[in-house]
Amino acid sequence: MEKIVMPGELLWEEETRVPNTYVEGGRTYATVLGMMRNDKFVPLEMVYAAKPGDNTVGIVTDVRHSGYIVDMNLAQNGFISSKFTRVSFKQGDLIYGRVKFVDEVGNVDLTDAKRLPLGKIVSVPASKVPRIIGKRSSMLNVVRDGTGCSIFVGNNGYIWIGGKGNLQLALKTIQFIIRNAHTQGLTDAVVNYLNENGGNVSAPSRDEPGERSKPSHEDYGEGEPRPRGESSEGEREDTSVAHGGGKHTKDCFDQDCFQG
Amino acid sequence: MDKPELFKDGKRIDGRTPKELRPLKIEAGVLEEASGSAYVEWGGNKVVAGVYGPRECIPKHGADPYKALLKVRYTMAPFCSKSEHGRSGPNRRSREISKVLREAFEPVVMLNQFPKTQIDVYVEVLQAEGGTRVSALTAAAVALADAGIPMKEMVSGVAVGKLDGQLVVDLGKDEDNYGESDVPMAITSKGKELVLLQMDGLLTREELARNLDEGIEACEKVYELQAQALRKSYESAHERGKLRL
Repeated sequence: MEKIVMPGELLWEEETRVPNTYVEGGRTYATVLGMMRNDKFVPLEMVYAAKPGDNTVGIVTDVRHSGYIVDMNLAQNGFISSKFTRVSFKQGDLIYGRVKFVDEVGNVDLTDAKRLPLGKIVSVPASKVPRIIGKRSSMLNVVRDGTGCSIFVGNNGYIWIGGKGNLQLALKTIQFIIRNAHTQGLTDAVVNYLNENGGNVSAPSRDEPGERSKPSHEDYGEGEPRPRGESSEGEREDTSVAHGGGKHTKDCFDQDCFQG
Repeated sequence: MDKPELFKDGKRIDGRTPKELRPLKIEAGVLEEASGSAYVEWGGNKVVAGVYGPRECIPKHGADPYKALLKVRYTMAPFCSKSEHGRSGPNRRSREISKVLREAFEPVVMLNQFPKTQIDVYVEVLQAEGGTRVSALTAAAVALADAGIPMKEMVSGVAVGKLDGQLVVDLGKDEDNYGESDVPMAITSKGKELVLLQMDGLLTREELARNLDEGIEACEKVYELQAQALRKSYESAHERGKLRL
């Protein structure tokens, strides 16, 4: 059922347009090291490519008259145009924003940027981000509840951790998730790991399939789910709620971070 | 030193049969800070490869707006061999090898996905015992896959050649130095396309054709070990995916 595939290995005999694959002669081949699970291709290693709609965490590295240059863990920098932003940032500010547009050379325009309060930013491999978030943020909520930290995950692989919780435990847990990202039943393992290491969390209740539970946290930012042509995550996990939960975010955002 | 007897009673100088490879050990993901890395021990060769990127192109004016630049740097450590490579840093020989390695990877790495960037591949030979360029190529291919750089297919290499009139696969140091011919070659895993072919010494056309056929067989064995190394890095509880703080 599970098989690790090499770059260039045949995935399907027919043409299938899936990220991290290519089609040649009517057949589909892998371009990266990945895993075939239930006839789905899950990349194990990949380079993040920004797409419109991605949620990202970044660091403001430069302030220009026209906007802000943002380090996004990419070869190219992100840019927040001051034309569309009322908030002003300083160099070194940590921000959370949405990718608005990616041009043909890979420059990224960000929108809806909010300033994150002081916290820690860690970088993780982009291929592990879907597992850190989990289905409908399940994994992320477990880590949040277990550590008491506020956590924002960007699709670009930057993770912001702040709040009054157990920061060290949050970092350790994220490392645990990354190392075991390719295994199944990871949420339960993470619950055990948290409880063993001083956290206190119970396993999330399983929802009935098909019935979409109401998000337990407020959707921070805009209400509508972001449009997605195709899910880049082979696991088909819901990354649209990559942002932090309301429980912890409320008290850690300055009022002037919100846009009018 | 006089020329040793390289082929005698169907056995080579180190006791191998003509088509036998030296022991080959590959490990993926050995470096903490690189995007991808690999370590190869092939006979007496010890090679480590690290891949960084795609990252901002330096110098900026060298960037290609249509594709990424692949920068390969092969170097031999000053302690890698008896006396021949007594100094460190790039020299005429290592620049040549860096170039042929780059040209071996350029057709398979999907460079057009990352315009205006560069992908750095660093290969360091810690110990040399003949066939370092194919060891370096094998390590670099695993490191590229470990870094998640999209590739159309994998690349595996081996040296073939002739010694004392016998066609052989995977030449060691003495075989390389005193043999009649040394042909490093590399093929891609899926299309079996030749991406590296050099020749030192003399071979007839027929001998070269036979040598290449044997080399392709050997490359397939190398590919199996490359795939095994990458799979193993996920199957075992490995120190993978370090948090970069």
